[in-house]
Amino acid sequence: MIRDFGVVWSEHDLLLSGLANTTILSVLSAAAALLIGFILTPVFMAKQRWLALVVRGFVDGMRCVPFLLFAYIVYYGFPSLGIRLDNWTSGLAALTIYNAAYMAEILRGAWAAQPREPIEAGIAFGFSSVGLFRRIVLPPLLLAAGPVLGNQMIQIVKDSAFLTIIALPELTHAASSIQSRHYVPFAAFITAVFLYWGLCLVIEVGVGSIDRLAAARR
Amino acid sequence: MSGADVLAILQGAVVTVTLSLVGILIGLPIGLALAVLRWADVPVVARVVAVYVSILRATPLVTLLLLLFFALPNIGIAIGPVSAAILALVMNTAAFNCEVWRAALMNFPRDQYEAAQSVGMTATLRFRRIVLPQIVYVSLPGLVNEMSLLIKVTPVLAVVGVVDITRAAVRIGAETYDPLPPFLIAVALYAPIVFALVSVQRWIERRQRIAEAAA
Amino acid sequence: MADDRKVLDVAGVSKRFGALDVLSDVSFRVAKGETVCVLGPSGSGKSTLLRCINWLERPDAGKIYLNGSEIGVTGGGLVMTDRELSRIRTRIGMVFQHFALWPHLTVLQNLMEAPVQVQKRPRADVREEGLALLAKVGLSDKRDAFPAKLSGGQKQRVGIARALAMRPDLLLFDEPTSALDPELVGEVLVVMRDLAREGMTMVVVTHEMGFARDAATRVLFLDRGRVVETASPDQFFSNPESERARQFIQRYAGDVASGRLAVTSK
Repeated sequence: MIRDFGVVWSEHDLLLSGLANTTILSVLSAAAALLIGFILTPVFMAKQRWLALVVRGFVDGMRCVPFLLFAYIVYYGFPSLGIRLDNWTSGLAALTIYNAAYMAEILRGAWAAQPREPIEAGIAFGFSSVGLFRRIVLPPLLLAAGPVLGNQMIQIVKDSAFLTIIALPELTHAASSIQSRHYVPFAAFITAVFLYWGLCLVIEVGVGSIDRLAAARR
Repeated sequence: MSGADVLAILQGAVVTVTLSLVGILIGLPIGLALAVLRWADVPVVARVVAVYVSILRATPLVTLLLLLFFALPNIGIAIGPVSAAILALVMNTAAFNCEVWRAALMNFPRDQYEAAQSVGMTATLRFRRIVLPQIVYVSLPGLVNEMSLLIKVTPVLAVVGVVDITRAAVRIGAETYDPLPPFLIAVALYAPIVFALVSVQRWIERRQRIAEAAA
Repeated sequence: MADDRKVLDVAGVSKRFGALDVLSDVSFRVAKGETVCVLGPSGSGKSTLLRCINWLERPDAGKIYLNGSEIGVTGGGLVMTDRELSRIRTRIGMVFQHFALWPHLTVLQNLMEAPVQVQKRPRADVREEGLALLAKVGLSDKRDAFPAKLSGGQKQRVGIARALAMRPDLLLFDEPTSALDPELVGEVLVVMRDLAREGMTMVVVTHEMGFARDAATRVLFLDRGRVVETASPDQFFSNPESERARQFIQRYAGDVASGRLAVTSK
């Protein structure tokens, strides 16, 4: 057994590049999804009913589709639209689009729970548009939504593992390669499990510090 | 895509639904048992459960499934794709259910529990007659949410060869060199099931909100 | 050595939470039929003392005897198991400040639950007794209602009936009216006063001076975890021995004089 872990360690380059891919993929898609979420959320609550319904349809749709299936559809579907994507890009696209829906839902909920007066005060004091958003609206919103966004981040990390099916060289794929080459399934996958656990603990620590910031200001 | 292909996907749906049900039905009581072990603070065991839940909630289902499917035979336990699939689903969903049950237990009103103690109810009676009926009610939305999440991860079972909706769709796509239509049919099968569960959850939450407002 | 004629014998009970001595060497005895009111300023340890009696809190020192047998520690000197404690608790009834009714059961079901499940008495008998108790506290028409639909005063009367349904040797009241709106306090105190008159052995932690004066056979004054004074209510209220008791009574004298005496005659 110890020898098995030694074998896994000898492949640490592969493992680390898998971990790097997982991390980069997760961070990029989370950031992009959050950005798209910020664009979608106002539309979600727009006065024009049909716009809001379109977004509602998109969000509910993504909630009802398994991510793995969605990744397959993006990977196989885009070529038929004439767009050739490699597995990395289509994996990133799938992860981003899918989670943009969840981000929109989270932001909508957090926005609904925000008190209106401080924002009105901001307007009364002369803040407008970008400044208002950046300095008055955004900080309390992010502080309040911190834990939920953190949870979604963890979801993204786990969803990224599904992309092994389209041969994207992330962590699970790396562990799979190591186990199929050296026949050390336990050591390879346990290592992957502990690396995922570590990644999620890092996210939870981050959420914890945001929560502490929020608590001091409550 | 022929009629036979559609039939194949429908047969996959039967597998998906069956395995999901098995996972849900076994995962619910195990999740409750784990939550109770933590709530009762059984020495050593409570800490083990905490660590187990933390790891399982951080582990992607596909990684867990591959681990079970390949590693168990390696240490002498023969396991087929269906058993590995059920085991992975149960281990995963039990960990998430544990947190839902635990939230309800942690928020259980202390004085009701003490009232049960004060009339001489033993621990078993206290749990069975006073605690359990109420935490089931409180945990319902979270548990139904977890059920819908479970259905959404079942496609991963295709990775070890279980012929569920996804694997059937993949196979047909590979045979016909036209992957998109079977995938869309697959979506058309998953979506209503998940949507039904999400709707049930929203209905439960609405009913509970109304009950609370009326009290 | 326990005094067997006494229903309750508390000897040298102490309890600390962290660095705070909540109870220090508290001793007193309660004879059958007595109503002992425990009075004292907030933080004096009154509730903790009550909760030590049925071992909801575990005393750090001292002994407690119910009808001569020790609570919490077996004859062999070992701490009692939950099972053994449960058996003793069936003999002691408790009424809680926040009622603690079980919300998923109706009023009658709340009353019947423990006698049926714990004492294993026949359901029909328990039901009959439960209905009689509800009549006694004036809530017959609420027997199939859920606790959420009741007022505070009604909930507490149900709480008292529920404790009585177990036919206890001793009834403990933990500030039974403190969580009630003032106009609802009276209906609960009436029930308690009648119980006292009927000879129920009771230990009542309360702020209701009027009740203590009217219904208690003895008053126990607690301050900072110690029994400062114990006397008959007449003696305590008209001529307290200690300075602390004097200050305490003066603070509440306004309530007694101004008629915030919520005990109404039926």
